[in-house]
Amino acid sequence: MTGVAISFREVTKSFGDKRVLDRVTLDVSPGEVLVLLGRSGCGKTTLLRLVNRLVDADGGGVFVGGREVADWDPVELRRGIGYAIQGVGLLPHLSVGDNVSLVPRLLGWNPDRRRERAAEMLRLVGLDPREHGDRRPDQLSGGQRQRVGVARALAADPQALLMDEPFGAVDPIGRRSLQEEFRSLSRELRKTVLFVTHDVTEAFRLADRIAVVADGGIRQVGTPGEIADAPADALVRGLIEGAA
Amino acid sequence: MSFLEFLAGRWTEILGLTLEHVVLVVISTVAGVLIAVPLGLAITRIPALGRPVLGFAGVIQTVPSLALFGLLIPLPFIGGIGSRTAIIALVLYALLPILRNTVTGVRQVDPAILDAANGMGMTDWQRLTLVEVPLALPSIFSGIRIATVVGVGLVTIAAAVGAGGLGSLIFRGLAMLDSRLLFAGAIPSAILALLADAGLAMLESRLVASRGASTS
Ligand SMILES: Nc1ncnc2c1ncn2[C@@H]1O[C@H](COP(=O)(O)OP(=O)(O)OP(=O)(O)O)[C@@H](O)[C@H]1O
Ligand SMILES: [Mg+2]
Repeated sequence: MTGVAISFREVTKSFGDKRVLDRVTLDVSPGEVLVLLGRSGCGKTTLLRLVNRLVDADGGGVFVGGREVADWDPVELRRGIGYAIQGVGLLPHLSVGDNVSLVPRLLGWNPDRRRERAAEMLRLVGLDPREHGDRRPDQLSGGQRQRVGVARALAADPQALLMDEPFGAVDPIGRRSLQEEFRSLSRELRKTVLFVTHDVTEAFRLADRIAVVADGGIRQVGTPGEIADAPADALVRGLIEGAA
Repeated sequence: MSFLEFLAGRWTEILGLTLEHVVLVVISTVAGVLIAVPLGLAITRIPALGRPVLGFAGVIQTVPSLALFGLLIPLPFIGGIGSRTAIIALVLYALLPILRNTVTGVRQVDPAILDAANGMGMTDWQRLTLVEVPLALPSIFSGIRIATVVGVGLVTIAAAVGAGGLGSLIFRGLAMLDSRLLFAGAIPSAILALLADAGLAMLESRLVASRGASTS
């Protein structure tokens, strides 16, 4: 399935007295990789989790494929959206293959089809199903685990992918190759990807477009080139120069 | 007459009482598991249950066992002399360690894993059965192990209310000031406790290892 559009309309979210998102409006086009870039605590994760309703907005609306997420059954919504997070959240008591085919299992696929799918997904992210499929997650390297996390997020052929610093726990070299592979993979699959990072270099490598998040709002949205050439304000300039 | 000769003369009786002892421990622990595990899981879903239920089980734990047996005897329906009263008391004692280990086992599951499970679209029931219970199993199991070992000791005391088991030899030994009788009850009971502990520990590591190799 190729990607669907994701839109945020005037979304507001507070935790207690603290306003984390203030009337955020943002459109993610079908099939594009949009990176949410910003400093720690600026609300990137919250924005991402609004999409699969791990967080519910206080005001405004979030739309997936034109339908407001508040109208979905959260469980059904989440099964149609891949989700990968830092530290991966693989289930330590299941084999790598079983982890990858978890969402298909929740969707009621039969075991043969699940196994086939797990193998296909593992190959897609550069792992050998025969060598790695039966291992426990803790018998893989950090980078391999991140790949499994991506394979799992893709396994049920979701309409969109949410990725929250999925390569955050990997060493710089492994990280670079993960980023490059993910870049070509996302081009090939044409899923809509919402990708969170606070790493400017990563954002510039992966993004079709970058949305710079700060103080509960979006400061600038544009292609990496646009943002590098014409930062909208001092904060955006500071952020990208800090990394250069 | 040496102690060994003494034992040799009574080995059928000792064996019978040992069996009775084991049966009492097994019945009360199994009943304890059947009550405490679901109740513990319910507490993880309905936190308001936690305080009263764990509080009740905790209070029971502070009542000396002999006193609890004594307190149950006059109660209608559940009381009276005999193994039924003893089993009720034993089950009550088994509750706390199993409850507590079930609740902490589930609560100790890494939040990132729960987050991933929710994000994948698991229902609450699926998260419980596919993620939380499997990951809490070692903790639940060690609660069961504690309850069993403690149960072996408690059953000896239950002989005071006529439950039978090895405790009856101990109480008879005390009454008759016969240390051979006392040891004939105490030694097998201690061995039982050690065996139960070692056996369950073995089962536990098996369980963890097999979970480490299964695919489903
Ligand atoms: N469940 C919550 N309860 C209370 N406060 C929260 C909760 N989730 C997030 N916050 C607060 O909201 C703000 C934004 O959090 P968020 O996780 O979205 O930031 P982030 O941009 O993803 O940061 P990081 O880069 O460190 O992951 C932070 O101040 C955080 O402390
Ligand atoms: Mg975050």
